[in-house]
Amino acid sequence: MDYFEPKTINEALALLAKHGAEAKVIAGGTDVMVDIKYKEEPGCLINIKKIPGLGAIQENGAGLRIGPLVTLRELETNKLVRDKLPVLWEASHQFASLQIRNTATIGGNICRASPSGETLTPLLVLDAKAKIAFTDGEKTEPFASFFQGPGKSSVGSKGLLTEITVPYPAAGSKSVYLKHAVRGAMDIAMVGVAVLITPDAAKNSLQDVRIGLGAVAPTPLRATKTEALLRGKPLTAALLKEAAAMAASESSPISDQRSSAEYRRWIVEALTRRGLEQTWKAATGKEVA
Amino acid sequence: MSITINTTINGKTVSASAEASTSLLEFLRDTLEFKGTKLCCNTGECGACTVIYNGKPINSCVTLAADANGAEITTIEGLADGDKLHPVQQAFIDTGAVQCGYCTPGYIMSVKALLDRTKKPTQTDIEEAVSGNICRCTGYAKIVDAIQLAAEKL
Repeated sequence: MDYFEPKTINEALALLAKHGAEAKVIAGGTDVMVDIKYKEEPGCLINIKKIPGLGAIQENGAGLRIGPLVTLRELETNKLVRDKLPVLWEASHQFASLQIRNTATIGGNICRASPSGETLTPLLVLDAKAKIAFTDGEKTEPFASFFQGPGKSSVGSKGLLTEITVPYPAAGSKSVYLKHAVRGAMDIAMVGVAVLITPDAAKNSLQDVRIGLGAVAPTPLRATKTEALLRGKPLTAALLKEAAAMAASESSPISDQRSSAEYRRWIVEALTRRGLEQTWKAATGKEVA
Repeated sequence: MSITINTTINGKTVSASAEASTSLLEFLRDTLEFKGTKLCCNTGECGACTVIYNGKPINSCVTLAADANGAEITTIEGLADGDKLHPVQQAFIDTGAVQCGYCTPGYIMSVKALLDRTKKPTQTDIEEAVSGNICRCTGYAKIVDAIQLAAEKL
């Protein structure tokens, strides 16, 4: 196995262009090392941790710019993330063990493109974007269209994720990340649901609603039909019930060792209902009537 | 492809070669003969291979040995001062927090890192600090006792 430690983004891109599909990018290594041992050793490993400038969290106008090499622990302990993007903080706090959080990077979690990736539904509901470098230029892609299938994303085999931009949610917004797992943070989610709502000025209706579903389809996804159903309306008990059932119908889970597809759909319904209820109450001070 | 790794382990500089795909755990155990760090799940789930890397507890089994280059690493062998055990090690003995002992080095490294960053850990701090360490013998209660005793002694 060849091994490289590029010092610049361009150097990394040239290596990716040269070695193509047999090259594997490694940062924290918490996924890649397991693949090397239990699946297949790549022909070439490109360790991007020596590239300067990819490991910072910076405030940029009304949002944060997060470097792909930021570890989950750095995300979890960053005050701006905790105060301004609590839904991302919640996901990073429920992300495996301290040992893993000290090593695993947000870029790795994103590029792994696992349907259950803990940070992915929060990034979806935050309307975050990925900046990806290629040899012929850079492109910015919203996470809404970034994920293409398990392990597949717009980064492909030739690109490098260089930045994650996350706008702050509108004033008055409330959000929550709910993870359903048997063993808490240590477990891979059976279902993960992120909800972010913005009430109107009078706090009577849902001006904006975003619902992200994880581990229940080939990619993490936004429940766009459910969002459309809710937008502009007050959250009544009848609407809540209808919305939760619709979110479940927008999911397309598989059965595996963690749970059956049927159970996952029930959990999507339950967590969507719980997430909407909680955020509605937090944002408006009212119970769902 | 073989690479040279220059690192500091338990305060001593070390230079050795290893295959590029080697994990830090394999490098410690097989190349440098630090056998105190244990191989168990080898997937980053059980914590038996925990070492302190630049002040932070990590799973050495899912860390690239190449990332040890220029880093400071503490293993279980680095804790005792001659024959005098580190207070965390002594606390595990005094409270009987050890049965088969295989997970113990990993636990002790997680606890050492916890007490390096917090002098007075809360129950939540303790639970979080060792949530990535699995023990199949003790039932955990005595381990928590050991951590509380170590915190009092330090």
